[in-house]
Amino acid sequence: MNNTNIIGVYEDEDVLLKAIDKLQENHIKIADVYSPIPIHGVFEKLKLTTRLPYATFIYGAIGTISVFAFLYWTSVVSYPLKFGGKPLNTLSFIIIMFVLTIFVGTLFTFLTYFIREKMYPGKKVTLPVPRTTNDQFAILIEKDQNMSDLEVKKLNELLKKTGAVEIKESE
Amino acid sequence: MYNTRVRGILIQGNKTYSDVSRDIIRPMDDKTPLWWWITAFLATGALFWGMWGFYNTISTGIGEWGLNNNVAWGWAIINFVWWIGIGHAGTAFSIFLLILRQKWRTSINRAAEAMTIFAVMAAGLFPLIHMGRIWDGFFIFPYWNTRGPLWDNFNSPLFWDVVAISTYFMASFVFWYIGMIPDFATIRERTTSAIKKKVYGILSFGWIGNAKGWLRFETAALLLGGMAAPLVVSVHSIVSMDFSVSVIPGWHTTIFPPYFVVGAIFSGFGMVLTLMIVMRKIYKFKDYVTDGHLDAIARILTFISLIMGTAYTTELFMAWYSGNEYELFTFMKNRVTGDYKFAFWTMITCNAIIPQLFWFKSIRKNITIVFIISLFINLGMWFERYVIVVTSLSKDFLPATWATYEPTITEIAVFSGTIGLFVLGVLAFFRFVPTIAISEVKGVLKETTTLKSFNDE
Repeated sequence: MNNTNIIGVYEDEDVLLKAIDKLQENHIKIADVYSPIPIHGVFEKLKLTTRLPYATFIYGAIGTISVFAFLYWTSVVSYPLKFGGKPLNTLSFIIIMFVLTIFVGTLFTFLTYFIREKMYPGKKVTLPVPRTTNDQFAILIEKDQNMSDLEVKKLNELLKKTGAVEIKESE
Repeated sequence: MYNTRVRGILIQGNKTYSDVSRDIIRPMDDKTPLWWWITAFLATGALFWGMWGFYNTISTGIGEWGLNNNVAWGWAIINFVWWIGIGHAGTAFSIFLLILRQKWRTSINRAAEAMTIFAVMAAGLFPLIHMGRIWDGFFIFPYWNTRGPLWDNFNSPLFWDVVAISTYFMASFVFWYIGMIPDFATIRERTTSAIKKKVYGILSFGWIGNAKGWLRFETAALLLGGMAAPLVVSVHSIVSMDFSVSVIPGWHTTIFPPYFVVGAIFSGFGMVLTLMIVMRKIYKFKDYVTDGHLDAIARILTFISLIMGTAYTTELFMAWYSGNEYELFTFMKNRVTGDYKFAFWTMITCNAIIPQLFWFKSIRKNITIVFIISLFINLGMWFERYVIVVTSLSKDFLPATWATYEPTITEIAVFSGTIGLFVLGVLAFFRFVPTIAISEVKGVLKETTTLKSFNDE
């Protein structure tokens, strides 16, 4: 997979959104979009979804259950000790369960995010257009090896027509 | 995430995206200014003094403090609750305003969250120091031990505190850090210095800002925010239970959890206001933290101040209405009048009366006065904790055991040490981290500029 990409650079998110529409009308597959801000239109148009909330829910549920199991085991099974005449298996466990559910949910959501994004401290990346972290937006289209020069030229023209300020090719 | 338009122009001066990056990163590229060194020097001095106090406490014992059999909780718990209260603002600010779709949070949330982190750090030191035998601190964790195994008392609010505060610290830090990743990437791509490129490259975790990345980023931020929001309420409710589950007059009341949560948000917003005014002044961020932002915070403070006033009145009323003479004594003879009346009336004046000046538009517009009032709020909230802790303990059921409490130099040193720690943290934040969330400001920028041209037509 040593494909080159054709990249259209834009300077406004509304122009970018219109460009995505235009490209999709022409049945061109958009590989990725780089932007300095999250753009909801892009998520919708590229039909991107994430299952992160389900993961968080599962972590939270596991957290609640395992914390209760631990509290029950320590206070009722391992070393039953009465405090202030309260029952061994008390309602006040809810407080620790509540807080630690959030603890587990937060920590594992955070970790899952980095694992799914394959991000870690010190990861080296080269951005196709470095200014996409500052003030530019980029549409990345994979250049097929079978693409004829004419098709590439047409694509470039199309990008130009949609308002791209710069069009370039990169690895 | 944002659909409502309430507040009009949030970012002044018709900025472009690159203007925003440039303006916010500028203070980090400039030479370290003189005020920074002076403040850092003073804060380090305070920190060293605090370390002396810490050493004194640990090497000699808690006897170095002004505590006695009655007043077993003194400045340590007062300062702990005060810092935790301040530490509530960041997350409260960020997350409640996120949920309420208040876009003006974008200029302030980063600084408020940073403040949270350092305030919680300062707060966390107090229980550790108060332990006396700090080397046995790990006893608090329910680890597999050879004493039975004997576990913690899971019904104790003091244990809940440990769990709640460590969770709060972790959640706030994670939420804060994840929000900074795109901004670190912005610095990484913009900077010309090789060291900065390396450091911010590591900090940015290889962020590229592609569509899927942003989607996951927003979802993660929303999830973390949603989970931290109930935490804001639970942490200070639990802190209040340290007091209210006891049978001490003045503590044993059901109003405590909401009263503490509101108080915490009040003191936190007060500190946010103090810091934002300083930050916009020294960094010339008037276009980002506009008068409108400060006005909004001032309005919120007016409202919270009313709730505080109501809580104080309710406490007094209930002391009388309950028919409990110990309660009545604590409130009427030991707070409103008596040895601690100065602290009580300072609390009432600073928290319930002075912030009411914000009803006047001319006062909200005068930033100097707003700044002074914000300092009064910080002070008043400290006195609130002083009133609660000291007055209730000093004169309890047996007049023979009554005692008064004065802090010793060691306690003052420890407190100033935590202030030094907090200030150093904030200074490091001012210097090495983008103080305003760049990507979030950019996110609301377009809409506000559109709104401006819409108004011009």
